[in-house]
Amino acid sequence: MERPLSPFMFPNWYRFQITSVLSILHRLTGIALAVGSILLAWWLVAVAAGGEWFAATHAFLASPIGVLLLFGWSVAFFYHLCSGIRHLAWDAGYGFEIRDAYRSGYAVLAATVVLTLLAWLYVLLA
Amino acid sequence: MANTRSLSNATALRDENVLRRVRHLGSARDGLREWRVQRRTALALIPLGLYFVASMLRLTTSDQATAAAWLASPVPALLTILFVLALLAHAVVGMRSVLVDYVHTRARLVAAELLVRGAAVVLGGASVLAVLKLFLGR
Repeated sequence: MERPLSPFMFPNWYRFQITSVLSILHRLTGIALAVGSILLAWWLVAVAAGGEWFAATHAFLASPIGVLLLFGWSVAFFYHLCSGIRHLAWDAGYGFEIRDAYRSGYAVLAATVVLTLLAWLYVLLA
Repeated sequence: MANTRSLSNATALRDENVLRRVRHLGSARDGLREWRVQRRTALALIPLGLYFVASMLRLTTSDQATAAAWLASPVPALLTILFVLALLAHAVVGMRSVLVDYVHTRARLVAAELLVRGAAVVLGGASVLAVLKLFLGR
C-alpha cells in the first residue's frame, strides 16, 4: 500500500519541500502579524496618552523581550510582504512552473534576510 | 418550469436553482468578496506597510514628543489610519481562512470568528481614536 499520505503532524519520514514550507510560513507569519496588530494599536494609544503609559510601553519595547518581539515581527513582516507579492503574481497567472516556483521561493527567502538585515542595521547605526 | 426543476434535481445542471443550491453548499457563501478584499488590502498594504515600517525605523530611538508630532501631521496621520484599517481587514480575512481550516465545530468557529472580528473592531477603533486625538489636538 504505497498511497500518498497527508503530511499532517509531519512524521519523520516526511521529506519537506521548500514550496510547502514557505506556504506554511506564510500562514504562520500572517497569524504572528495579526497578533502584532495588538502591539501596534497599543503603541498608537500610548503615544496619544503620553506620560507613564508611553514610558512603560517604551521600556517594554526596549527590554530584551520587547526587542526579540520586534525582531520577530520584522522578520514576519518582511517575509509575509515578499511571499505575499509572490502570491499576487500567482493570482495574476505568473510563475506556476515548478522551476519558477522554486526560484521565486528562494528569492523570497533571500529578500527577507536582506530587508531584515538592512532594517536592523539602520536601527543599530541610527 | 416544474419539469426543469425535477430534471435538474436529478442532474444538478443548468437550472436557475443550482446557483442558489451551490451558494448554500459553499464553505463561506461570500468567498469571492473575501478573496477580493484579501487581494485589494494586500495591494494597498505593500506601499502602506513599507511606509509605516520605514517610519517606525526612524522613530525607534525617539521620545514621545517626536512620535506624537509625527502622528499629528496630516500625511502620517492619514497613512497610519489607512495602514491600520487595511491591516485589520486583511488580518480578519486571513484569520478566518485559518479558522475555517482548523476549527471543525460550528459553535467554536462562530465564537472564534466573533472574537477575531471583535478584536479587530476594538483595535481599529482605538488606533483611529489615538491618531485623531493627536491630529486634532495639535
